[in-house]
Amino acid sequence: MRASPAVTPLASAIGALRLSPGHDLVKGPDGVLKAGALPGLTSNAAMYSGQRLAIQGGDPFRTCCAMLALDGQAEAMMPLPSGLSDEAAARLTASAGTGRTLRQDELAGFLAGRDAPDRALPGDLDTRWLLATSGTTGPPRTVRHTRASIVRAVRPCADGAHARWGMLYDPARFAGTQVLAQALLSGGTLLVPDPVMDTAATIDWLAEEGCTHLSATPSLWRRLLMAPGSARLPLRQVTLGGEIADGAILSALHARFPDARIVHIYASTEVGTGFAVRDMKAGFPARCLHDGIDGAGLSVRDGMLWVRPPVSDLTAAAHIERDGDGFIRTGDRVAVEGDRVLFLGREDSMFNIGGVKIQAEEVEEVVHAHPAVARCRVVARPSALTGSLLALSIVPRSDDFDDAVLRRDVARWCRERLPPAARPASIRIVADLPVTAAGKLSRTDTP
Amino acid sequence: MNEMSPSFEPAVPAGAFTRDALRTRIAALFDEMWREDHDSDPPPLEDDTVLLETGFDSMAFAVLVARLDDELGFDPFTMTEDPVYPQTFSEFLDFYEKCAPRPQ
Repeated sequence: MRASPAVTPLASAIGALRLSPGHDLVKGPDGVLKAGALPGLTSNAAMYSGQRLAIQGGDPFRTCCAMLALDGQAEAMMPLPSGLSDEAAARLTASAGTGRTLRQDELAGFLAGRDAPDRALPGDLDTRWLLATSGTTGPPRTVRHTRASIVRAVRPCADGAHARWGMLYDPARFAGTQVLAQALLSGGTLLVPDPVMDTAATIDWLAEEGCTHLSATPSLWRRLLMAPGSARLPLRQVTLGGEIADGAILSALHARFPDARIVHIYASTEVGTGFAVRDMKAGFPARCLHDGIDGAGLSVRDGMLWVRPPVSDLTAAAHIERDGDGFIRTGDRVAVEGDRVLFLGREDSMFNIGGVKIQAEEVEEVVHAHPAVARCRVVARPSALTGSLLALSIVPRSDDFDDAVLRRDVARWCRERLPPAARPASIRIVADLPVTAAGKLSRTDTP
Repeated sequence: MNEMSPSFEPAVPAGAFTRDALRTRIAALFDEMWREDHDSDPPPLEDDTVLLETGFDSMAFAVLVARLDDELGFDPFTMTEDPVYPQTFSEFLDFYEKCAPRPQ
C-alpha cells in the first residue's frame, strides 16, 4: 500500500494558525485548554513518544486534550469509547495491540503537567488512530486510521476562528474525531459537554457558550428539537450524519435554525468520511454515481451502496468487504429515483414480513411525517403466522393527547400510505426511545 | 423508561378467559380491524366459519393474533411446539381456550 500523504500533527497545524494565547481551544464545563498551553501539553506527551497507547474513556474533555497532545508523539493511539466494560476494553486493546492504557487519573496528571520530561522531543510521528466500531451487530472491532484519513474531510472555514463547535459525540467515535479535527484545524473552539448532563442541561450549556456549529445524528437532532432551549442555540451550521437524513428532519431543522447552513454527511467507520451533501434535500444527486463526490467514488450494485474512499490505505479491518477496485461495501441500501439517490436503510434493519422485505427506516420516515409524532421506531416482533410483524413505538410531540385516539390516528396514517406488510401490527406510545452510544436509534434496547 | 400506554397491559385478568369471553373479545377485535379496511359490515363469525373465507388473509390474521397478544397477554401460536393451523373460527377459539393461562 502506498504511504499516506504527509500531514502535520494536529498540534503543529494548530500552532501554524497563530491563534492568540488566550484563545479557547477545548472547553468543558469544568476546564479549558488555551492555545497558549498547547506547546506545554505536547511536551508533556513526549514521555509517551513512540508508544502504542489506549486512552480510557469517561471524560471526553480530557480525552480530546489527550488526543490533541498525543498525535505526533504516540506511534498509535486508541481512544476507548465511554461505557465500555473492562472486559470489552481488554479485548479491544489486545486485538489492537496497544501496549498500555492511560487511565482517567493518569490523564488528569498528564494534562496538569505532572511527570513531564525535562526535554521535549519534537513529535512528528505519523500516529495511527485506532478507532472502535460501535459494535451494534457484534463486539466492537478496531478500524485503523491514519492522521491523513482523519483530517481529510476538514474544510477551511472563512469564519473558522469564531466557530464554536459543540461536541455531542464520544471523541472515541469516528464522528467525534471529525468534529474535533474540523473545529480545531479551522481555528475554532471545541465545546465539550459533560456526558452526565441531560439533553436540556447540555443545550443550556452550549447556548451559554455561544455554540455556533453542531453535529449530531438525526435521532439526536429530533431529541434536541424537542427541548425548548434549542431555539436559543445561535447556530450557523447544522450537520447531520450517521443515519438517514430525511426531508422531514431537514425542513424541521431549517425552520428552527433559519440562518444556519445545513449539511448532511455520509460517513462510516469503515469508509471514513465519504462525502457531504449541502442542497438541503434527502439523499444525494444521482450524477455523483458517475462523477464521484468530494473525491469518493460511488457505485450501486443490487441496491447496495459501495464507496471507494479517496485515500486508499485509510482503513484496514478484517470485516470490511472490498472489491478489487478499492470499493467498500457499506451495508447501506439505496434506490435511484429520478436524479436522486435515496438511502433506504441499513441491510440489518430490513425485515421479512410474510415473505415481503420491509425496510424499517422507510416505515419510520412515513410515521415521522405524522404531525403528532416527534420520534418513532420500528422493530420486528415474532409471529408464528408470518415469521415477523412490525411493532411501532412513538414518542408524541406534545403531552396533550388521547392514547387510543393517537394510536388509531397513526394506524390510519400508515394504512393510507403503506402496503399491508409494511403497516405496523401494533403501536405503543412511549416517553422516550433509546439511542446507542454512537447517537443512533437503538433497535435492540427496550424503550 | 415510563410506559405511557396503560392499555398495553393485558386488559383481561388471568382466569377470566371463558370461551364466551374469548369469543366476544376476538369477534370484537375482528370487527374493529375489518372496519379499518372496509366500508361494508364485517361477516358474522360462526363456529363453522372458515377463517380464510372471511376476507381476512394470513397477514390480517397474524395482526389479529399480535393484537390479541397485546390485549390478553398470551399468544397460543408461540406457546406450542407443534404447528397449529386452525381452519374454522371454532378451532381458533379452541386453541385460545386451551392455551389461556389458568387461575392460580
